[in-house]
Amino acid sequence: MEYRSQKVAYWYFAAALPLFVLQIFLGLYLAFSYTFTVPQSVVDVFPFATARAMHTNLLVLWMLLGFMGGTYYIVPEETNSEIFSVKLAYLQLIALLAIGVIALVGFFFGWTKGRPLLEIPPPLNYFVVVGALIFLFNVGMTMIKANRWTATQGTLLGGLVFLAVLYLFGVPFYRNEVTDWYYWWWVIHLWVEGAWELITASIFAFVLMKLTGVERVVVEKWLYVEIGLFLFTGLAGTGHHYYWIGAPRYWLWIGGIFSALEPLPIILMLVDTMNHVKERKNPIVNRLTWTYAVGCAVMHFIGAGIWGFLHTLPQINYYTHGSQVTASHGHLAFFGAYALLNLMTFYYAMPKMKGIVEYDDTRGKYGFWMMTCAMMLMGLTFGVAGVLQSYVERVLGMGFMTAQSYMRLWMGATFFIGIIFLAGVLTTVTDLLTIRPKVRAQA
Amino acid sequence: MTKKTAFRIFLIGTLSSAALFLWATYDTQRQVATLSHVDKLSDEVVAGKRVFERHNCNDCHTILGFGAYYAPDLTRVVQRVGDDGIRFRVKHPEQAFANSWRKMPQQNLSDREISDLVAFFTWVGEVNNNDWPPQDSRKRISRGEQMMVAKVGVSPGAAVFQTKGCMNCHSLNGTGGTFGPALDKIGASLSAEEIGKYVRNPKGVNPKAMMPSQKDNLSERELEEVARFLANMK
Repeated sequence: MEYRSQKVAYWYFAAALPLFVLQIFLGLYLAFSYTFTVPQSVVDVFPFATARAMHTNLLVLWMLLGFMGGTYYIVPEETNSEIFSVKLAYLQLIALLAIGVIALVGFFFGWTKGRPLLEIPPPLNYFVVVGALIFLFNVGMTMIKANRWTATQGTLLGGLVFLAVLYLFGVPFYRNEVTDWYYWWWVIHLWVEGAWELITASIFAFVLMKLTGVERVVVEKWLYVEIGLFLFTGLAGTGHHYYWIGAPRYWLWIGGIFSALEPLPIILMLVDTMNHVKERKNPIVNRLTWTYAVGCAVMHFIGAGIWGFLHTLPQINYYTHGSQVTASHGHLAFFGAYALLNLMTFYYAMPKMKGIVEYDDTRGKYGFWMMTCAMMLMGLTFGVAGVLQSYVERVLGMGFMTAQSYMRLWMGATFFIGIIFLAGVLTTVTDLLTIRPKVRAQA
Repeated sequence: MTKKTAFRIFLIGTLSSAALFLWATYDTQRQVATLSHVDKLSDEVVAGKRVFERHNCNDCHTILGFGAYYAPDLTRVVQRVGDDGIRFRVKHPEQAFANSWRKMPQQNLSDREISDLVAFFTWVGEVNNNDWPPQDSRKRISRGEQMMVAKVGVSPGAAVFQTKGCMNCHSLNGTGGTFGPALDKIGASLSAEEIGKYVRNPKGVNPKAMMPSQKDNLSERELEEVARFLANMK
């Protein structure tokens, strides 16, 4: 930590972590509901839908807090200056947390916009916009005042502005369900395959640069190519969500072709990471941080690259669309691309902010491997359930609940693997919040 | 490769894709009115959409394939279970899903709200969306039906029973839906003719029947085959 104002990031991270834990508890409830019968009296009070809204919104909230904290950590070092206003940064954190808590409690009492993943109702979502504007103002002013532009910084700011602008498309009420979904994907797809990828690519570039000591010019050169490919495939690739919504037929071609190319930037990122790690100029001090970096690149490739590619072609997607195959892809991709990225940033920055050079990573290692293995297995169990569903419900036409009865075993497996995942998360979160310096054995 | 070249790659890649995407968006906006029959998008339909959103239906069900995967897709729900089927399920979920191992919450909707909801589903069901979902597509399922008869060698009636949505509500040998009665012994009490008559127009036989008429869903030939198949279940 080189600048005092970087310390703000710590509180963003510390706030994100408990939300992550809560997200997993709700996830377990969802998997439980798929496997066992939840009685009518419980369903009437706390339906699956409410738990799902909480599960997904918690995900968005903790990851955005992670990105914001990451930004506040990176920007001072990139601009060689303190953050424009530390007070504003704290104010924004408190505001976002308050909005989050109100939204979650609201969901429980049925206060919702009713659009999946964008359930935060008006006027609460206007406050989200205000919070985002404060954040962008603060970050933008820091960069403008310092006037020391780098590609990493530019990509980060670009991604954050893009993220905020896209959110606006989810705010209005659309009369037409088709148009509604069309612009819903401007938020969801262009977030995860556009804005969020820009943010992660730049955070990743920053951490790699610091960790490996590879020259900025090399890292940033590849950063340009990566984000170029991300946006080239990702923007038009939105088309893979427009196959079956009542949009013109040419989307089958646009979506099919561009999303078939979507793994390319992720492969490049993986190869690039491996090369930087191999050609490192710095010694490996904290092995776990490196493990997270490589793990993130690998799981990003598996979850987003391979799993996404598998069901993106229209001929396959016709049968897998809206099935557990999507859930399988969603879980692996979010975990690989964004959860691991955030955790990598936390492991990189949190010890530094506590003045720890070399941290004890015994617990952290268990956490990483428990989470990663469990998520990989869950990707498979969701996947098997999804293939069964596609075949039994869609190909054979045997009906939704028949398919669900065949899938029950696999959703049950998901529930039990989810418990292992939770154990991994608890280990990781505890470790991060109570991270200690490594004690060397006396020689 | 220099950093400058890399920057050019970024610029060209992004701008070309954005241009294509924005053009296609403009064109989609033009065509969507026809594809989604905007002329039929009445205030009632919009009111139904609001009910659908107010009660967070989309966080269990999918519609046009989007949402949560906990409950059936609702794109073609009117074609699948009929107006009355929707009304009954929404109004009395505790009865409708009494035998199901997965429940639906009681939303306490007024009759007006339920009518709006039905109007909304009716409108969505007519959106021209490249014949998705496959389970409700008449074209695809007939192909599946032919395949089953040819490859697996099941009787044509069994293929109809399995692929035409009967199993959404009815079961055989414990496999299928719990919404309607199990049909394992149906042949013991009804003849093929009686079954055929009932399936064509359930309300004509029993005014209190919940089952939607299958006259439009099944061809005459399919009707006869499935009736003969069920009459053998004794």
